[in-house]
Amino acid sequence: MEKINLRAVFEKSGRAVFISHLDLLRTMQRAIKRSKIPVWYSQGFNPHIYLNFPLALSLGVIGRTEFMDFAVTEQCDNEKLVEMLNKSMPEGLKILSVDKPVFENKEIGYAEYSIDFKSSISPKKMLSSLEEMMSMEKIEIDKRSKSKGTVKIDIKPHLNILSTEILPDELRVVIRLPAGLALNINSNVFVDTFSDVSKITFTHICAERTKILCINGQIFK
Amino acid sequence: MLKEQIENLLLQVKSPSRYIGGELNSVVKDKSKVDVRFAFCFPDSYDVGMSHLGMKILYSLKNKRENFWCERVFAPWPDFEELMRKNNIPLYGLESLDPVKEFDFIGFTIQYELCYTNILNMLDLARLPVKAKDRTDDMPIVVAGGPCVCNPEPLADFIDLFIIGEGEEVNLELMDLYANMKKQGCSKKEFLEAAAEIEGIYVPSFYDVSYNDDGTVKAVVPNNPHAPKIVKKRIIKDLDSVFYPEEFVVPYCEIVHDRAVVEVLRGCIRGCRFCQAGFIYRPFREKTSDTICRQTKSLCESTGYEEVSLSSLSTSDLSEIDETLQQLSEYTSNENINLSLPSMRIDRFSKELLEQLQKVRKSGLTFAPEAGTQRLRDVINKNITEDEIMRACKLAFDGGYTSVKLYFMLGLPTETDDDIRGIAELAEKITDLFYQNPNRPKGRHLQISISCATFVPKPFTPFEFEPQASIEEIKHKQKVLLESIRSKKRINVSWHNYRVSILEAVLAKGDRRLCDAIYEAWKSGCKFDSWDEFYKYDTWMDVFERLGTDLDFYAHRTRPYNEIMPWQHLDYYITREFLIRENKTAHSEKTTFNCREKCAGCGVSKAIGGACFGKN
Repeated sequence: MEKINLRAVFEKSGRAVFISHLDLLRTMQRAIKRSKIPVWYSQGFNPHIYLNFPLALSLGVIGRTEFMDFAVTEQCDNEKLVEMLNKSMPEGLKILSVDKPVFENKEIGYAEYSIDFKSSISPKKMLSSLEEMMSMEKIEIDKRSKSKGTVKIDIKPHLNILSTEILPDELRVVIRLPAGLALNINSNVFVDTFSDVSKITFTHICAERTKILCINGQIFK
Repeated sequence: MLKEQIENLLLQVKSPSRYIGGELNSVVKDKSKVDVRFAFCFPDSYDVGMSHLGMKILYSLKNKRENFWCERVFAPWPDFEELMRKNNIPLYGLESLDPVKEFDFIGFTIQYELCYTNILNMLDLARLPVKAKDRTDDMPIVVAGGPCVCNPEPLADFIDLFIIGEGEEVNLELMDLYANMKKQGCSKKEFLEAAAEIEGIYVPSFYDVSYNDDGTVKAVVPNNPHAPKIVKKRIIKDLDSVFYPEEFVVPYCEIVHDRAVVEVLRGCIRGCRFCQAGFIYRPFREKTSDTICRQTKSLCESTGYEEVSLSSLSTSDLSEIDETLQQLSEYTSNENINLSLPSMRIDRFSKELLEQLQKVRKSGLTFAPEAGTQRLRDVINKNITEDEIMRACKLAFDGGYTSVKLYFMLGLPTETDDDIRGIAELAEKITDLFYQNPNRPKGRHLQISISCATFVPKPFTPFEFEPQASIEEIKHKQKVLLESIRSKKRINVSWHNYRVSILEAVLAKGDRRLCDAIYEAWKSGCKFDSWDEFYKYDTWMDVFERLGTDLDFYAHRTRPYNEIMPWQHLDYYITREFLIRENKTAHSEKTTFNCREKCAGCGVSKAIGGACFGKN
């Protein structure tokens, strides 16, 4: 059977941010099945729809350009696929485009996030706390690894703050973090570290992943 | 609006997608355009409740009506409950995220006795008084249905009305009545009086119960002219044409039964004497092969599920089982859908069936002989012989299976130590069968799991008169079983917690005086009693002792044939004469034909105006 590899770009927002990574796989498999596109099944004893997500998204984070790899058994019009898939997506999941994959998953190097912080203290004060943290020599956190147990690592060199903006009652931080196989620091790590170091309790946090980039800085696609 | 408040808490709890709704096929309506809002509550976690077929049927049925809106509500897991209480979030419906306190009805489906404290807890989370008498006219009507309401007495203080029997028709009648009376501005009492006149509706506050000096029930007498002396259960006459959902709500997180389910038949012809479902769901009615296939297809297409299960009390008793499987497997194999067949009887186990099962996946096989000797299997009317068990196991081993799970009950009426040793002997014989079989899977060893439940006598069964074994007796039986197993490496034994079974027996056969105990147990922190990690046996025992509740009286006592049972004013069409006859037949170690072979005269044919099978 022919197998044509494809990569979908999708958005995960609204109530769908509470779908965990494992549940997302099941949810997408079912949505694809309902859509009746000529999807490719794994050829084992117990065939299932082949799906792969190059980069997991943390629970609670909005994804603006997430990726999902699948395959079809015949040549299809990509626009038509998008239309068919979207008819069967549940609330909060939306396919933006479908195309041939360009890069390999292992080429993923960074992800960009836009994070809005809300707290009882003013955005201005939150910003100065952030600046204070970023002026520290080292920002050490405990990171668990399978082989070495818990190790301390300095994440300061990996926190690449691209911009900050003071909104009426929120502080917006746009940050680039390492992602992919070599080193993965998700937005929650940054949020938790900021909270720990600054001793600020955030009443609301809205984080969204806006871009996934290759090691060489190109947009992943 | 609760939505934002809830969302702010969700990242702190396990499996948050359970608490925010928005699942595919969930029904959202404009509340200003509906007449009646119904909060369908399952008093256990989302994962358990979302697997329940009855809820899916009634949810779709009600929502098909433009002027009704039915929403789903589950018991929040304790981590989320704590946050809800701390942040003043009341129990809410998953579709609108509105507090259930604003609804017209709050309806519980009661599938097992051990969820009773969760019902109280959910009412409390909804910020309603848990006792019916304390709820005023501006609060929702609290109703309950499901198998446990065949003896609703232990819940009589908490529920405004019970729905007895099958719900497809009576639920709509009740909601229509409510819609009319709401427009007329009627009081709660006026509504309950009108509801009591609908067949299948039982309003417990309209009945007075008196007791004899020995504690048994003396009489149950209506105290309101609108309440009938005897409440008859509702029965759907034609299962083939009754409403069945074309779509299920598809959860995001994994639930216990995560698949499409098609109900293929209702009732059971077998008459196993311990099985309550086998009697209270009578008569036997089934769907045609065409209906089953049509319903399977539409459910699979609307949900995208990769597995469909044919569900019933005994799926192999479907008349058109062969045609159905043939017709279905064509569709399912084309669409890469797994077909699963739970509840198949050992005596109907065939090579063809095994092949069908293997298409899905080669997991272990489970059989339920229930008792270890032929004598005891005859007493319980299981109607399965050792030869049949051996034949089924041989087929399974030929087909490559290397693990078998066997279900038994301990503490069955007339059980002796020989019957217990029979369980071990049966398992040993199956072990020998495996190792003597030249076709067995090479290089693999056999694993037999024996799982023992404690027998709980239930209302409307021929064993309703029987005592439950005491803790000491059960401990002894467990010891005998362990001592008689030789191949300890191949045969592994596990039991259900008998301390749970005792509570189950007390609640199943209890009367209205147990309402106080349930209330006190809940006040003392009991909830999720069916979950081992939450079950507080000592707390329950303390409460019983404090209130002077005699467990022996409820659970461990032989009830005479002429005793008035607490549930005697409810009519499930199974006559007392039949139950007595069957109880006597059990004690003489004789079996009874299944309904298809010969009518045993249980009384249910009266309800459908003729014979259940063949001509009148």
